[in-house]
Amino acid sequence: MGSLAVRSAVLLLLLLALPLALGEYWAFQLGLFFLYAIAALGVAMCWGQAGFLPLGQALFVGLAAYLSGAALIQWGEAWWVFLLLPFAALAAGALAFLLGLIIFRGRSESGPYFAIITLAISLLAFQVANSWNEVTGGYNGMKGIPGLPGLEGFSDVYYLAAVALACAVALCGWLVQAPLGTLWRAIALNERRVAYFGYDTAMLKAIAFGLSGVLAGIAGALYAPQQGLVTPELVGFALSADLVIWVAVGGRKRVLGPVLGVVLVGILSAELRERTYYWDLIVAAGFVFVVLYASGGIGALLAPLERLLPGRRKALEPLRAPAPKAPRTAVTLAIEGVSAAAGEVRILDRLSLAIARPGIYCLIGPNGAGKTSTFNMLTGELRAQAGEVRLDGDTLSKPTPYRLARRGVGRKFQIPSVFGELSIDENLRIALWSGRTSLLDWLRPAPRRWDTPVLAALRGRYPFLDDGARLASALSHGERQVLELSMALVTEPRLLLLDEPCAGLSGEETAQVMAVIRWARDTLGLSVVIIEHDMALVKQLAEHVFVLHQGRLLAEGDVAAIRSDPRVHEVYVGAAE
Amino acid sequence: MDPLLVTQALNVLYEVVTLAVIVLGLAIVFGLLGVMNLAHGEFIALGAYVAYVCQSLGLPYLAAVPAAIAACALLALPVERFLIRPLYDRPFDTLLATWGLSLFMRKAIEIGFGGGYKSLKIPVSDSVLVLGAPFPAYRVLLMALCAVLIAALLLWYRRSVAGARVKAMVGNRELAQAVGIRTDRLARDTFVVGLCFAGLAGVMVAPLVSVQPYMGLDYVLRSFFVLVVGGLGSPLGLLSGAAAIGGVESAMSALVDRTAGYSTVLLIAIFFLWRRPHGIFGRS
Amino acid sequence: MSARAFEFEDVTGGYGGSVVVRGLTGAVAAGEALCVLGRNGVGKSTLLRLLHGFLPLGRGSVRFAGRDLAGLDPARRTALGVSFAPQERIVFDDLTVRENLTLMRPGRPLAALAPYFVRFPRLAERLGQHAGTLSGGERKLLSLVRVLAEDRPVALLDEPAEGVQSESVRQMAALIGERKAAGAAFVIVEQNLELVEELADRYLILDQGRTVQAGDRSTLRRAELVAHLRV
Repeated sequence: MGSLAVRSAVLLLLLLALPLALGEYWAFQLGLFFLYAIAALGVAMCWGQAGFLPLGQALFVGLAAYLSGAALIQWGEAWWVFLLLPFAALAAGALAFLLGLIIFRGRSESGPYFAIITLAISLLAFQVANSWNEVTGGYNGMKGIPGLPGLEGFSDVYYLAAVALACAVALCGWLVQAPLGTLWRAIALNERRVAYFGYDTAMLKAIAFGLSGVLAGIAGALYAPQQGLVTPELVGFALSADLVIWVAVGGRKRVLGPVLGVVLVGILSAELRERTYYWDLIVAAGFVFVVLYASGGIGALLAPLERLLPGRRKALEPLRAPAPKAPRTAVTLAIEGVSAAAGEVRILDRLSLAIARPGIYCLIGPNGAGKTSTFNMLTGELRAQAGEVRLDGDTLSKPTPYRLARRGVGRKFQIPSVFGELSIDENLRIALWSGRTSLLDWLRPAPRRWDTPVLAALRGRYPFLDDGARLASALSHGERQVLELSMALVTEPRLLLLDEPCAGLSGEETAQVMAVIRWARDTLGLSVVIIEHDMALVKQLAEHVFVLHQGRLLAEGDVAAIRSDPRVHEVYVGAAE
Repeated sequence: MDPLLVTQALNVLYEVVTLAVIVLGLAIVFGLLGVMNLAHGEFIALGAYVAYVCQSLGLPYLAAVPAAIAACALLALPVERFLIRPLYDRPFDTLLATWGLSLFMRKAIEIGFGGGYKSLKIPVSDSVLVLGAPFPAYRVLLMALCAVLIAALLLWYRRSVAGARVKAMVGNRELAQAVGIRTDRLARDTFVVGLCFAGLAGVMVAPLVSVQPYMGLDYVLRSFFVLVVGGLGSPLGLLSGAAAIGGVESAMSALVDRTAGYSTVLLIAIFFLWRRPHGIFGRS
Repeated sequence: MSARAFEFEDVTGGYGGSVVVRGLTGAVAAGEALCVLGRNGVGKSTLLRLLHGFLPLGRGSVRFAGRDLAGLDPARRTALGVSFAPQERIVFDDLTVRENLTLMRPGRPLAALAPYFVRFPRLAERLGQHAGTLSGGERKLLSLVRVLAEDRPVALLDEPAEGVQSESVRQMAALIGERKAAGAAFVIVEQNLELVEELADRYLILDQGRTVQAGDRSTLRRAELVAHLRV
C-alpha cells in the first residue's frame, strides 16, 4: 500500500498549496466543492465499483448537515463538539447501510429500480424537511449555525475540507485495492455468479451503500458550519442530480474521477452559469455523450498517467491460505419425490435419486428431461412444490446459491461465466476467498497473496493461469471454460455440479478437462455430477449414470447397464409419443 | 345529491383521468417497450409550450394538436436512433441517457422561453352543471376526451393488426422476427407514437396547469410511480395505477394538504418498488 | 443441375465465442426435404439458427435461390422466402390462435386455411383462445400450420413433431408431403424416425457439431439411424 500513501500525500500537498496560489475567495468556493467531492466519492464507490447507482444521495448529505447544525447550535461553544460531527456522518452511514440491506434483500434486484427507490426516498425526505418546521426550520431552513470552534476565516475551513478530502480519497483508494473492491467489481459484472461462490451479495452492496452514506455524511457535517445555513434544498433533487453528473463526467471507476468531475464541472458551472446561458446545455450534452460513448469519463484519460507515479507493486510472496470453513466430510445427497412445475408444465415429476459416496456421476437424458432443472432445484433457482432434499442428512429447505456454497456445493454453468473485466488472478482469488474469509479479511491486503496446493496444481496443469494479470475476457472460449472449472475446484467443494463442462472444447481440451475432473475426484474426494450429451465422454468418465426422462429418474447404473437397458433405448430412439 | 360531494368526486375523477392520459405515453414506451424514458415529462412540456406558442400566434387551440405531434415526432426520431436504439440492452444507461436528455430539453426550454410561468387562456371558459354541481366546462371536455382517447387506444391495441404485431414483438421478439416483423422499425414507430401521446397530453393539460420549464419533472416521476404500482405492459395496470395514485393523492390532499398527498404517493411507490416492482397487474 | 432452392456450405458457428457446429454442408431443391438428425446437444438447433440469421456465421455461406444471405437479419430472410419454426417458444402466447395465424396476412380470409383445419380440427375449435393456454402438442400443431400457411418456397422446421401424438404426426407428414408436391423445400430437424423415413429426400446425421453421415433416400437405413441416436 506504499504507493497509495505516496499518492495521497501528494494530493494533500497539492490541495494545501492551492490557496496560496488562488487567494481567499477561491478558498471558500473550493472548500465547498471539496465537500461535494467527498459525497461524490461515495456515489462513485457504489456506481463505479459495486455497480448500482444511488439517485438520492443528497438525502444523507442533508441528514448529516441538519444533525451537525443542530449540534453546533446547541453546544457550539464546547470544544468537544468536534466529536459530534463524526457521529452525524456515521448516523447517515448507518441509515444508508440499513436501507441498503432492506432494499437489496427485498425483491427488486434490478439496478434502475434501486435508483428510483433512492430517488423517491430522497424526495420524501425533502417533503419532510420542508414541512417539519419545529425540527428543521421548514422552508427557511436551519439558520445561524456557528462555525467550528477554533476555526476562523475561510482558509481554516478550507484546510479542514482539504484534509477531509485527502483522507476520503485515501480510504477509497485503499478499499478499491482491497479484496472488498475486487468483490464489488465482481458483483457489478455478475452478481448471481458471485452469490454462487458463497458471498452474501446483499450485505456487500449494503456495505458499499453504507460507506457512501458515511462519505456523504462527512460532507454534510462539514457543510453546516461552513455555510452557516441548511435548507431543505440541500436534501433535494438538484444536488443528487449534480452528484451523478459530476461522477459520470469525471469518471466513476477511478478514485480521482469524482474529484475531477466536481472540480471541473462543478466549479466551472458556478462560474460560467452566470456568463453563458448555454453552459447547462453543454453539461447536459456532455453527460449524454459520456453515457453513450465514454463511460470511463475524464478519469479514463488519467490511466496512462497513473503508470508514471511512483510505487509500482513488486511481485509478492504467496501466503498459505486458511482451510475452508465448510465441512470436509464426503457429501451425501438424497433427493426424494421432488416435484416442481412452472405453470402447467411439469418440470420435475417425483424425482428421486441419491448419491452416497464420492465419485463421478453423469446425468443424461433427452431434451426437457429436467437435467438442468435438477441443478436449479438444488441451488434454489427452481422451487420444489413437493418432496424433500437432504444434504448430509439435513433437510434442505429454501436453498439459495449462497447457502449451498457455504455447505460445500459448487456449480459451474454451461456457458462460461467468468468475470470478464477482472484479471485471471482476481477471478481465481474470488473463488479462493469464498468460504475462507470474513469481513475483516476483505479489508486487508494479505488475502490477495493467498495460495493453496489445489490452485498450485491447477496452475501446473494449465500454464495460462499463471499469466495472472491478463483479463479473463481476453481468453479463448476453451480457456474460459478451464478457468471457470478451476475456480469451482479451488473452492474445494464436496459436491460439484457441472453443466456440460466440455461444451465448445476441442478434442484435446476435452481430454485435459476429463483428466482434471478425475484428478479432482482423487485428490479432493469430492462427488461430481456432470450433465452431458456427449456419450463418448460419459463412457469414459462416468462411474454411475442417472438417466432422466420427463422429470423423473428413468434408470441408473454403470454405463454398460444403461446401454443395454431397453427403456433407455426406447427413450432415445423410439418414436415420440 | 349534495353538490359538494359531486364536486369532490368530479375532482378526483378529473385527477385520475388526466393522470392516465399523462402516463399513457410512458405506458407505451416503458410498459410495452421497456424503455425507461426519463425525458417523458419534457415531451409533455414540449406539447404544452407548443400550445402556448400557437395561442400566442392567435391560432385556434385545436391547431396545437398537430403542431405538438409534429414537434414531438421530429424530436423523437433522432432520439430513438441515437439514444435509445444503441442502449436497448442496457436499461440502466437508457435511464441515464434519457435523464441527460431531459436536462438538456429543460434548459433549452428555459433559454427559449424564459424561466417564468406562462399561462394559457382556457379554450372553453364556461361552467356546466353536472348532477347539480357546477364544474368547469373545459375540465369536463378534457375528461371526455381523455376517456375517448384511452378507450380508442385500448381498442386499437386489442383489435388491430398493428396492435397484435406490437404485442407479438413485445412478447417474443425472436419469433416476431422469424415471422417477418421488422422489429427495429416497429419498436421505433412505437416509441415515436408514445412520445407523440406525451405531447398530446401536454396540449390537453396546458391551460389548466402552470406551464414552466420544470413542469416535466413532476409528471415523469408520477408516471413511473403509476406504472410501477399498476403494472407494466397491461392496460388494466395503467388504469388501476392511475386510479390508485391519482385517487390517493387527491384524497390525501383534500383531507390534509398537498405535502401529505405527495408524501403518501411516495410511500406507496417506495413500497411497490421494493416489494412488488411488477405492480398490481404486471407479470412477474 | 437442378435448381437448388436452399443450400449451405461449411457452416461454422455457435454462441458467444464457442464453436458449436463445424463445416456443415447441405442442400435442397424445390419439392425436397433435408432431414437433420442427431442426439440432443449435437448442434441441430444451432444449425437452423445459423441458417436463418439468428446467429452470426463464423465461416461458410447460406444461399437461397442462388442468393447469398450473409448479413441479412431473420425478418429479411423471411421476407425473401425462407420461413422458420423454432423449437422453443414457438407461438405468440399473448395472441389468440386466430391472431397467430393471420398476423402477417391480415387480408387473407380464414377460409383459406380450411385445408389445415380439416386435418387439425382441434385448432379450429380453439381459434378464440390465447395460444398460451394450448397444450404443448397443440402448440406444435399451431406452429406448423402457421409456417406452412406462410406459403414460402423454403421452410426450416425445428422438431415439428416433438411431443405430438402419433395420429397428428401422420397428419403433419401428409401436410408437409403435400407442400413438397407443390414445390416447397424443407430443412427439418427431427428425431421422430417415422417422419424422417416418410419425408426425407436427403439426410444429415450430426454428432458433436459435425456431420458423421450424409446421404439421400436410397441409403437411409433405420438400423444406422438408431445406432447414431442411441446411447
